[in-house]
Amino acid sequence: MTAAPERISPATAVEPAAVELINVTKLFGDAPAVDDLTLTIDENRFFALLGPSGCGKTTTLRMVGGFEEPTSGEIRLHGEPVVGLKPYKRPVNTVFQSYALFPHLSIFENVAFGLRRRGVEKGDIGRRVDDMLELVQLPGMSKRKPTQLSGGQRQRVALARALINHPRVLLLDEPLGALDLKLRKEMQIELKRIQNEVGITFVHVTHDQEEAMTMADTIAVMSHGRIRRLGSPTEIYDDPRSAFVAGFLGASNMLAGTVGGNDEVALADGTRLHVASGHGRRPGDALRIGVRPEKVGVFEPGTAGLPANVVEGTVTDASFIGVSTHYIIHSVLGADISAVVQNVGGSSFRPGDRVALGWNPEHSFVVDDD
Amino acid sequence: MTTEAARRPPGWARWIRAKLGRRAVPYLLLIPGGLWLLAFYVIPVAQLAGVSLQEPLQAGNPQAGYELTWRWANYSDAFSDFSGQFYRSFLYAGVATIAALLIAYPLAYAIAFRGGRYKNLLLVLVLMPFLTPFLLRTLAWKVILADSGWVVEGMQSIGLLPSNGRLLATGWAVIAGITYNFLAFMTLPLYVSLEKIDPSLIEAANDLYASPATAFRKVTLPLSMPGVVAGTLLTFIPAAGDYINAQLLGNPQQFMIGNVIDSRFLRVLDYPTAAALSFTLMLVILALIIPYVRAAGTEELVA
Amino acid sequence: MRRRVLPLYAALALAYLFLPVAVVILFSFNDNQGRFNFTWQGFTLKHWAGAFDVPAIFDSLLVSLRIAFFAALAATILGTLIALALVRYYFRGRSTTNLLLFLPMATPEVVLGSSLLAFFLTLRVATGFWTIVIAHIMFNISYVVVTVKARLTGFDRHLEEAAMDLYANEWQTFRKVTLPMIMPGVFAAFLLGFALSFDDFIITNFNSGATVTFPLYIWGAARVGVPPQVNVFGTAIFVITVSLMFVNLWAQRRRA
Repeated sequence: MTAAPERISPATAVEPAAVELINVTKLFGDAPAVDDLTLTIDENRFFALLGPSGCGKTTTLRMVGGFEEPTSGEIRLHGEPVVGLKPYKRPVNTVFQSYALFPHLSIFENVAFGLRRRGVEKGDIGRRVDDMLELVQLPGMSKRKPTQLSGGQRQRVALARALINHPRVLLLDEPLGALDLKLRKEMQIELKRIQNEVGITFVHVTHDQEEAMTMADTIAVMSHGRIRRLGSPTEIYDDPRSAFVAGFLGASNMLAGTVGGNDEVALADGTRLHVASGHGRRPGDALRIGVRPEKVGVFEPGTAGLPANVVEGTVTDASFIGVSTHYIIHSVLGADISAVVQNVGGSSFRPGDRVALGWNPEHSFVVDDD
Repeated sequence: MTTEAARRPPGWARWIRAKLGRRAVPYLLLIPGGLWLLAFYVIPVAQLAGVSLQEPLQAGNPQAGYELTWRWANYSDAFSDFSGQFYRSFLYAGVATIAALLIAYPLAYAIAFRGGRYKNLLLVLVLMPFLTPFLLRTLAWKVILADSGWVVEGMQSIGLLPSNGRLLATGWAVIAGITYNFLAFMTLPLYVSLEKIDPSLIEAANDLYASPATAFRKVTLPLSMPGVVAGTLLTFIPAAGDYINAQLLGNPQQFMIGNVIDSRFLRVLDYPTAAALSFTLMLVILALIIPYVRAAGTEELVA
Repeated sequence: MRRRVLPLYAALALAYLFLPVAVVILFSFNDNQGRFNFTWQGFTLKHWAGAFDVPAIFDSLLVSLRIAFFAALAATILGTLIALALVRYYFRGRSTTNLLLFLPMATPEVVLGSSLLAFFLTLRVATGFWTIVIAHIMFNISYVVVTVKARLTGFDRHLEEAAMDLYANEWQTFRKVTLPMIMPGVFAAFLLGFALSFDDFIITNFNSGATVTFPLYIWGAARVGVPPQVNVFGTAIFVITVSLMFVNLWAQRRRA
């Protein structure tokens, strides 16, 4: 006797994603700031929109928040379409780049602003504001005014002011841009901690690739209004799939070549390099093979047991940076290759030395020759 | 407990927004003030233009009323009858404006560049005298420049004035009065413009071998030009139409076009001539400032 | 040596600026003989004691204050609305609006005053208190717009977006965020309008009918002799306004 077939009731159907953009385009005049963008952001993620100035990341964020309307396309928040809804009707909150704290109100009133607008009980407000200020580590600041606070403190107030409303999605528009380096790094860790603790979706816009990689679970790299690469930090770093993304995230060395058989790429001078499998190109296709400088080892020529990919050259520059030494090697192919070697003992080389560069095939990636 | 429903905008506002949409909002904001200006500036001035082309139904009898005969001769008559006052008005206003510029510029410069923490205080001090009524200030000058006052006697003793010379009832007194009374209008825009100049620009000029005088000529002065233009306009325009200084500090030989218009309108009741004179004054002023307006663009005007 | 020249000049210029004020104050204590008050004849306090002996003076002062209040209030409201429209929105007719606002400032007061008089005559409206108020509102609007606009353009637009992000609709945003923030500018515009109206002579002269404002009183009296009580009130006005200004400055310092 067979068991009754399992019925999937609507209630257990797949939950709608936190944010969905479907074929969204935004034109300013004739110029597309966002060009037919489709994106799904899952619940409870720290999601980063990364790209250079003018790539459309801020415009995308503003459309989700309701400060701009798309020229065409749909936007859904938890399955509900929101195009045409004013910001005060959307269940999202925003942390602005300039923090936008109300200078004429105290910190308490700033943080309580959203609660008051929604008619929360007076008694509750006090308690919730205090709890939130604790969360962002600013206890006892209620009575001060924004002008009396430092940049880092203001940033946390802006965060508190947004989070206290329990939005289902929090939008952050380059919130750390105005902070100095040390503070920025601290806040990056703070924000990640808070996101974990509070458990809501964060959508973070930034042009700083290090920041995105530190904080985000998923990164969308944008340029010219389109998404070029979507994935976890490791995925897109190790497998950028385009020269643009390879260049935007970290540095990379690119060499032009043609596809041979069996995961091999032939360079102009006949040197054969090995790449990891599954690059999906056909023999004869032109492409470029890339490798990150930190994956390139620098050795004496003729050393035994070198990795599979070897290119020879002469050192033209060697800079000691404390943690590592950065080499620039003029290779026999004519191109310059940079290598970063951790200073853990081992040989060091000087300009003029002949060296052999070697790296593992898994560390190679391919991009189209464009 | 307040609910969200209670906080929605009043019914009429929602109705407006629904019917007219967002586009209408700026126009709605403009309408009250705009209508006011239309009704009480544009229309009266247009009407004045009409009046300037009328002539009395009965010659010599202003009470009998007027008719619009497009008498352009009103303008030429007015101009020839009162050309002296016209020239004098622009002469006095021009000299006074230049004097005001010369006095105010170093003052504004001193406050902007040397004021330090006391900038605002100094600015307030500069504006304070203008809290006394205009007329009282002018009457005070009558006292200061009196024949037996120390200014006149001092000038007589140095020989700037002959021993029976006087300042009152001469053009100099009127010019002095005008210069003083509009000094605030000159100082304020100058200060605003000078204060915006980044001191490091001057340091850069010095670093590039410019002497202080050259740095001033090549950097500070050009950058302060918007202030100079604004201040000059704000001073010259009211000065040209002023007649209080002439009335109180001068005698009929110094009367300016403003005095004439005032008497034509309120005493002689010769409206067409008065209107023609007013318009001529306004048109000449506009002719002088149109080049400025073109150069600066309309956004700059009201900012 | 050169460093001293500029501050010295500034001091001299300030002295020049305050000279007439000093004269006004001084001559409120002048023991003048006869109707005119132009030569110093001796010190006395009797004018201060008898400040209200000439009722016409104080009456004219009250008239001026009332006119200034109404005119400044109305002009501030109208002008602020216009300033908001100009700064916040893009609309066709911006340049026309700017021009319309600029023209009254560029028109000599004689033209403004006389054209309004002709207008009222045509409409057979009797000139008096309210025509003065109407005229003052008219010329104040431009100045209000300039003042408020200056304050508005430095305003962070994101503040309003933040308010809307935090569930305030447009009206609430205006009331809770925009208005409080532009208040200082609006208030400054009100004060400016008040001062311009209070001190106005030429336009008022044309449109006053039988109403006498403080400047009109002085003008009328100038021919036959200005009573020293005028100096007394002039001094009082000056002292009061200066004190208010300093109190305001001091209050601002404390708040910062």
